[in-house]
Amino acid sequence: MKSFVLRNRTLIQSSAGLLVIFVAAILLSPTDLRTDEVLFLKADNLTNMLRVSAPVAIIALGMTLVILTGGIDLSVGSTLAFCSVVAALGLSEWNLGIFAAILLAILAGGAVGLLNGSLIAWLKVQPFVITLASMIGVRGLTRWLSNNQNIQLRTAGEVAVRFFEFFSQKTVMIGLFVLLAAVFALLLSGTVFGRYVRALGDNAKASVYAGLPIKRVQIAVYTLTGLLAGLAGVLTCARTTTGNPNDGIAAELDVIAVVVIGGTSLAGGRGSIVGTVIGALIIAILVNILGLRNVGANEQLMLKAVIIVVAVVMQHQRTSS
Amino acid sequence: MTDTSTTSEKGPQPILRARNVGKSFGGVHALRDVSIDVYAGEVHAIVGENGAGKSTFGKILGGAIPADSGSFELDGRTVTICNPIDAQQLGITIIFQELDLFPNLSVAENIAIRNLAYSDRLLVNRKRMAEFCLPMLKRVGLDVDPGTMLGDLHLGHQQLVAIARALSMNARVIVFDESTSSLSDEFVENLFQVIDLLRSEGIACIFISHKMEELFRISDRVTVLRDGEYVGSRPASELPQDELIGMMVGRKVSEQTRAESHAAGEVLFECTGLRTRRLHDISFTLHRGEVMGLAGLIGAGRGELGKALFGLTRIVGGQMSLESRPYLPRSPRHAIELGVGLVPRDRKTEGLMMQMSVRDNTTLASLSDLNALGLIRQREESTVVERVGTQTRLRASGAHAEVSSLSGGNQQKVLLGRWLLVEPKVYFFDDPTRGVDIGAKHDIYDLIEQQAARGKGVLFVSSELPELLRCCDRILVLNQGKQVALLQSDATSAEEILRYATSQASQAVAS
Ligand SMILES: Nc1ncnc2c1ncn2[C@@H]1O[C@H](COP(=O)(O)OP(=O)(O)OP(=O)(O)O)[C@@H](O)[C@H]1O
Ligand SMILES: [Mg+2]
Repeated sequence: MKSFVLRNRTLIQSSAGLLVIFVAAILLSPTDLRTDEVLFLKADNLTNMLRVSAPVAIIALGMTLVILTGGIDLSVGSTLAFCSVVAALGLSEWNLGIFAAILLAILAGGAVGLLNGSLIAWLKVQPFVITLASMIGVRGLTRWLSNNQNIQLRTAGEVAVRFFEFFSQKTVMIGLFVLLAAVFALLLSGTVFGRYVRALGDNAKASVYAGLPIKRVQIAVYTLTGLLAGLAGVLTCARTTTGNPNDGIAAELDVIAVVVIGGTSLAGGRGSIVGTVIGALIIAILVNILGLRNVGANEQLMLKAVIIVVAVVMQHQRTSS
Repeated sequence: MTDTSTTSEKGPQPILRARNVGKSFGGVHALRDVSIDVYAGEVHAIVGENGAGKSTFGKILGGAIPADSGSFELDGRTVTICNPIDAQQLGITIIFQELDLFPNLSVAENIAIRNLAYSDRLLVNRKRMAEFCLPMLKRVGLDVDPGTMLGDLHLGHQQLVAIARALSMNARVIVFDESTSSLSDEFVENLFQVIDLLRSEGIACIFISHKMEELFRISDRVTVLRDGEYVGSRPASELPQDELIGMMVGRKVSEQTRAESHAAGEVLFECTGLRTRRLHDISFTLHRGEVMGLAGLIGAGRGELGKALFGLTRIVGGQMSLESRPYLPRSPRHAIELGVGLVPRDRKTEGLMMQMSVRDNTTLASLSDLNALGLIRQREESTVVERVGTQTRLRASGAHAEVSSLSGGNQQKVLLGRWLLVEPKVYFFDDPTRGVDIGAKHDIYDLIEQQAARGKGVLFVSSELPELLRCCDRILVLNQGKQVALLQSDATSAEEILRYATSQASQAVAS
């Protein structure tokens, strides 16, 4: 028991953080004037909250792996917009079927990730630099592809309407996240690949000496993250019924914040998917309650900053003790 | 438990008394009720098996970790040591095995930084800093420019900088935690001269080491810890080696020599005219079941040979063959596939994933045999880890223990366990007994012999010549990247090996 507590100290801490913020949200939430119901706890509010945060949370699953290897991926926000635009174009202008359009969009995200991963693995340039470049480049590509115009799906015909009606459903968006979270949790804790991811982030040099397939692992984590960013793009496109080339600006920072709040160390080697799920919930609740209380977007940003610092300071104290 | 008999021998009062010190990590008692007296001007050795609590004791003295219980007296006054600053003010310093210096700062900056005796002014004044350092550097006999970047110095010299820093803090008690384990013989001798000097100046040195010859060479008194408990303190001159070992281990360690040679006639691995940037014309054959020692000074090319065999360095010329097929590894991964394994020298940087568990580290290089469709077969993995742990006599709180929480020697065993699981045809052990206690050393010798008996070929680097003479069939001596001798270990001696290893003119000797 004791060793269980020790081993999972980060997780226990983040869960406690989640609990605190959940209770605080209930206490701070405005109530329905007539029925005296707590607005925050209304099923409709909770599910909507999860739906809105699903795209960032989904990308965060992949980002957790990237950060565990000691890397970072700054390109996910641009990739999200890119794939959203590809999906929208596929449905409206290229007349693809729903399935083909989605597949194309997700694969486009995978291609960005594959490129990131390959360049990092083969050129041995810092992930920060490579993905910074692709963040800029992919954004340009997206704007070029869309002529910097929003692509509306509402007016794009029956197929497009069926697409967004299906994928913007709460059960679909939340369900996909839950499913993917389970898959990634297993991937990280139960597979050879997951072990290699951690090992690489823990000690890259020793990973070479142990004969691990380092390049393959690196390429895989960035490709997975690209695929997830592609899926997030598809979902965002469906939810907003728009392919917006300027979507997802600074989303990479939200994603990284979720991962870090979930207890994954930016130094690599330490972290978990469960933590990331908790981190995503913490941010989701925070944004939601601030919205309910009509706190402006600018103040929201400042509060987010505080939460990130508090979370990381708590972790730091844990590791140095 | 406590010993009072020695108080009368060395003047009236010890400089430092540790009383009933206790420390536990989670459920593990690292130290229990340990009381040690240290006198001015003595070299006090603390010995014991891996995990006995030596480093923990040193870290507590140095303020790196707090004790759970117990008290300390300095010059008869009760003092508290809660953090490194307390220790520094009291004049207690610890020289860690992994030096806590900054390689990218100059020698002078390393000595002055966070030094209470050197009061910072707002601006860095290089000249003042250099003046502050020079007397200390002189005392440790280090003749370098204080502006030199620390990382440019040899490790042995870096250690002297650490000692100079200790002196500049007016240290009266200096703890050396396995300071010699990463030094070659000439630097060890150098360090000992400095320690002799410190002793004559009345400084108390606490010396932690696993090397028996060193202990008897340098120490005045020896304290033995076993499983976190105090066993006893004795003057070194009145303590025969086997009695000391008995105190450490609690049982008799039979210093038996190798049973027999397992070398068969069949050639397993061959290397002809091998050249890399730092190796010139290395040629030898390794037979099945043969253990070949690699001797030489630091920088002689032993590590480089390992790198060449393991695909970590570019091969410029010559050929290698394994089981009469050409062998040319592109990377460690490729080398492992072809059947060569290397147990690296530096377990912290090249070996272990410190934040991962004993289990994860043990199976890391052999997961390809432990999975079904990429999923790790957990139950099988656990049994394997258990088995290897028993084989290496690993002492850990469990398979889930983080490797960073193990004592140095046990970390080494985890690393060895990893490679035992890989089962390569040719092993390259790069100084596998570094920082390992005497009992565990013999365990490692046995492991190596077992591998030889199973028909593997073993290349064995060690800086301890008796170890090479004990374990090897033949010994290859390298000198400045050249092969200078290939000796039958039953027909040679430490003196002869040393002569070849240090000779200037390197004339190649055929096998
Ligand atoms: N940070 C830690 N967390 C948990 N256990 C620890 C920690 N540090 C030390 N231990 C445990 O305390 C015991 C004593 O360790 P210590 O490092 O003092 O041994 P040692 O005598 O220096 O051994 P070695 O000769 O191998 O260096 C060991 O059982 C070790 O596993
Ligand atoms: Mg130690």
